[in-house]
Amino acid sequence: MSPSQQPTSTNPSSLKNQFAHRFIRALKTLNHTKTGAAHDHNQMYRRSIRVKIASYTAMASVVGSRRAWSRAVLWKIIKRSRNQGLLLRKRKRRNPNPKREDFNPFRNSGQELKLRKLVPGAETMDSWCLMGETADYIKCLVAQVEVMKTLVDLYSIT
Amino acid sequence: MEKDKTFTSEGNGISQAWNPILGMGIQDSELNRNCFFNPNCEDQRDLFESALSSIVSSPVSSHPGIPIPGSADCIVLRELIGRLGSICNSSEISPHNSCYNTPLNSPPNLNLSITDHQIQGNYHPIPPAPFPTDPGFVERAARFSNFGGKNESFKAAGLGDSMEEPSVSETGTKEKSTNRRKRKVVPKGKGKETQSSTTISAKDDKVVAEVEKGESDAKRSKSNEKSTEPPKDYIHVRARRGQATDSHSLAERVRREKISERMKFLQDLVPGCNKVTGKAVMLDEIINYVQSLQRQVEFLSMKLATVNPRMDVNMEALLSKDMFRPLVSLPNNVSPFDASVQPFPYGLQSQINGMIPDGPENQISMNPLMAAMHRNSITKPPHIDGFGEASTLWENDLQSVVKMAIGQDQPQGFHGQMKVEL
Repeated sequence: MSPSQQPTSTNPSSLKNQFAHRFIRALKTLNHTKTGAAHDHNQMYRRSIRVKIASYTAMASVVGSRRAWSRAVLWKIIKRSRNQGLLLRKRKRRNPNPKREDFNPFRNSGQELKLRKLVPGAETMDSWCLMGETADYIKCLVAQVEVMKTLVDLYSIT
Repeated sequence: MEKDKTFTSEGNGISQAWNPILGMGIQDSELNRNCFFNPNCEDQRDLFESALSSIVSSPVSSHPGIPIPGSADCIVLRELIGRLGSICNSSEISPHNSCYNTPLNSPPNLNLSITDHQIQGNYHPIPPAPFPTDPGFVERAARFSNFGGKNESFKAAGLGDSMEEPSVSETGTKEKSTNRRKRKVVPKGKGKETQSSTTISAKDDKVVAEVEKGESDAKRSKSNEKSTEPPKDYIHVRARRGQATDSHSLAERVRREKISERMKFLQDLVPGCNKVTGKAVMLDEIINYVQSLQRQVEFLSMKLATVNPRMDVNMEALLSKDMFRPLVSLPNNVSPFDASVQPFPYGLQSQINGMIPDGPENQISMNPLMAAMHRNSITKPPHIDGFGEASTLWENDLQSVVKMAIGQDQPQGFHGQMKVEL
């Protein structure tokens, strides 16, 4: 993958390296704070969720605030940690820019809606920005998956 | 009749067809008769340019003496354009489809009133100008032919103008989809062509309109190039023939073209989407791909959670040091993640065996790791923090990562919120 058409400041290999560093640091922290060999399924599940969140956070922090999706991811995580002790209330989704509906009457129907749900922070974007965010998100997801695959294989070799 | 010959004879027809129109003889030596029909000729561009320049520049000199041609000349015009276009397409002069990439050397200049009056069939003299001989014109001529050849589909797409049929407008010609009706300046030489075709009768307005649209392609492409580089004043948009002319539909069309441009970029990102055309199918593919990537992340995180407890504190230090040491000795500076994940196909196959036979590079990088891992797995982890509350654990984890975000990046609108949290 090369940044051929869209100018991005992070090429894929540096993205992967940075993500790897942060992710491994997060994993290390996770490992320290848990007991070893948690065989309970529930604990394993929670642990896997933490690893997943750690990976998304690491990737979002590598991208920083350059992209809307990374900002949304970090914001969501902060909010989640804020609400950790309290009940997680369902937030009502409101459209903060109602006049933007006119741009695309098909915005909230069909596939674009699905895409908006998949890409974080893309609910209130117009379609053009949505495409750009999706492209960047896909690029980062691919890097993330590759690094994690390598890590899994590294760890499971022992 | 002479004009009937234009249908039958090939190269000769063109040179003769122009004669009644222009009222003068074109030297045959200038107009290479076989230049149109040599698909394998490598200098087609130069031949085209010379031929076209001879054609187009000839009316320049004999401007006042041009008789008003009849209705058959439009057919001749269409033939010419069609032949140019077919040859251009067959030889694939334009490997890239979009107008944006054509290097336009000379800024074209056109009196705007010309195109306005075209459709009304008026005839306005234009001061002669040298014809720009750039290869971009050939590609534009190719687009002429596309408009001429795919007349019906284009008109259908033009009249449809709704989101339900993007495929018609997008798959009809790629060039069409990149058209924007931003008006800029247009070669005066091309104005000659339109001008000569303005005298055509009403039933041939189609060709005129297409020619005009083809020219406005060039205008658009030039204006696009210019509008993307230095800051311009604002975008002049012009409605196409057979479409609504209100500003809303124009803006819609511009917006849709921007989106389709991005969809093409996404096509490159998503594997296996090269043959897929159409926004709906493309969106489906993108959604599936994103979902599968997210599922992969989830699965891998589950795996990491299960295998992780055996890992040691020094793993990260090892990774940072030992991975980069063998990298220096590598012929190409490839990060270990790049080198090792190349054999992994997309589709969740994490095969350990796949890593080892990768090559000497990986073995170099893996060996110190393996040794270290073997060494470290024997010893117990030195520090095990107390088993704290989940929230505090999470806070520590989060803050460590988030602090990195603040420290290394420059968050803009984000900074205030971050500060509150920390």
